[in-house]
Amino acid sequence: MSLVSFVRANDSSIDALKKAIKRSLNLIRFSFARSINKIVIKPNMCYYYPPSTGEVTSPQFVSAVIDIFRENLSINPDFFIVESDASAMKCKYVFKMLGYHRIAKEKNVKLINLSEEKNKIVDIKVNGWYLRFYIPEIFHESDFLINVPKIKYMADVKITCALKNMYGCNAYPRKSIYHVALNEAIVGINKIIKPDLVIVDGLIVYGKNTRRLNLVMASKDPVALDAAASNVMGIDPTSVHQLVLASKENIGNLEFIPVGEAFSYVKQSFPAKSVKDKIRETLASTYLRIFHE
Amino acid sequence: MGLIGIGGQGRIHLRNCLRLKKAKLIGVADISETSLKFAKKLGIRNVYKNYDDLLSNQQIDAVIISLPNFLHFESVTKAAEAGKDIFLEKPLARNVAEGRKILSNVKRNGVKLMLGYNMRFTTTLRKLHEKIADGFFGEVEIVQATNVSHGPFTPKGGIKTLRSVPSWWFNKDLAGGGALLDLGSHLINLLSWYFGEVKNVESYLGYKFNMELEDSAICILKFRTGPLATINVGWFSKDLIQSIQICGTAKNLSMHLSPPSISHLIFRDIRRKLGIFKYDSYYTELKYFVECLWNDASPSPSGEEGLSDLQVISMAYKHSHNLA
Repeated sequence: MSLVSFVRANDSSIDALKKAIKRSLNLIRFSFARSINKIVIKPNMCYYYPPSTGEVTSPQFVSAVIDIFRENLSINPDFFIVESDASAMKCKYVFKMLGYHRIAKEKNVKLINLSEEKNKIVDIKVNGWYLRFYIPEIFHESDFLINVPKIKYMADVKITCALKNMYGCNAYPRKSIYHVALNEAIVGINKIIKPDLVIVDGLIVYGKNTRRLNLVMASKDPVALDAAASNVMGIDPTSVHQLVLASKENIGNLEFIPVGEAFSYVKQSFPAKSVKDKIRETLASTYLRIFHE
Repeated sequence: MGLIGIGGQGRIHLRNCLRLKKAKLIGVADISETSLKFAKKLGIRNVYKNYDDLLSNQQIDAVIISLPNFLHFESVTKAAEAGKDIFLEKPLARNVAEGRKILSNVKRNGVKLMLGYNMRFTTTLRKLHEKIADGFFGEVEIVQATNVSHGPFTPKGGIKTLRSVPSWWFNKDLAGGGALLDLGSHLINLLSWYFGEVKNVESYLGYKFNMELEDSAICILKFRTGPLATINVGWFSKDLIQSIQICGTAKNLSMHLSPPSISHLIFRDIRRKLGIFKYDSYYTELKYFVECLWNDASPSPSGEEGLSDLQVISMAYKHSHNLA
């Protein structure tokens, strides 16, 4: 079983945030005693939403992660914040609109549009699906990959957190082509690129509505982290296809040990969907199928 | 009639054109093959990749232009020179100078020009116009109008599907303005219709998305007839709200315009499913435009009104405070 930490920052100040991230790393027994020269950070920048909606990773959160690594590593590594173009989102706009250009300047880190990087084609088979990914070379050249996802519901795959965030590491921009086998595509990319560390930006979460939780979650195991996230959101992890599939493909462990903040307390604080919400959602999606397809 | 531009707004006009009784849609033009296929599916035989070809079709008397802001000048000028009457999606132009040139070209060629401000054809807002004119509110002192959404980033068709945003929306030179020009022009036009000429303008602009274009604006308008109005517009929200509040010496009113209630949406969809067409504001404005052509009347919102809106927006930009 893998450790998943839950820590709540006292407030939204940068100092409180850094303290919470540091504690979340200590709780999963993460050690900075290693030689790292090149760190890649993959936040969630799925669309042109302000971070206050809970939909995208806050640049302040990424900034705090960079500070912590700089303060604790013996040598000062190069940092690369990465994202790729998607069917509906373009990096050249999203970096600026979400405020990442400012962080890049302040912290002297590089913003990389993975869709414009050199990449290698990797074909992979998952659950009977043959999938082709375009893997940017930066992932082979870097020493350390930090996945900084959000924690959200997503209609097609139930949850989007650590595993789904890696989907944006595929350089191919027209990602809608993978939607016919989205679970398999999520697992496929995670088989090819494995993060060394996952730190969830749960400062503002998006469940049935947006809520400020000042929560930080961390784990070395993306499957365990997503299983914990799923639990927090009131969803049985064994009912989440991508998680079961990822566990079968040995990407990580479905079982986890929560450490830090009382798990029940975190679960209670998350704006999870109630049975009533789920019924309403099912009715709405049935309705949309009838009238809008 | 001919339709130039079959993007999001153009598709609304396309469907509505097919329902018009006193006009027939002869042809459409768009650079996108997908859009032209869409039009063909709806039974349009004459589809053109280049709108010059549509304009040379002698069967076409009038055109609907639903193109990005930076193409308004060229397309309106060419349409006017081809002798076509024009229905142009708002705004008139990117700026006052361009707007003036458009009006001069339209005038020189003696064609009609109507601007597509669909809010002017919303039943409730038309009734409100009558009430204001009838003195129902007494003297109107304070007005507040709000139009906040995700602007060009709004998921299409009301379904939560993210869409690719055309690059011109991010470019100040091509778009001409941000939320104030896009959403504010609707409210400025509406309030000018209600209360007449704007005397003074002051505005506060927001740049949350770090773009050259403002993504939020609060505009304070003083009308010559007396009312003081605040308009609030924004592109920053995942949610949508359109509302208007009118405070007068005799009566106050607060009206929620959008999003519509769930029951309203369900009734709308059932009607659609049963093939019972509901006349929405986009249809009504087109129908009115066609009536004006048949009766040789001058349509309103006119090009001059569109120019006046641009002048107010230009003043708002000039007298703006950046609170960042």
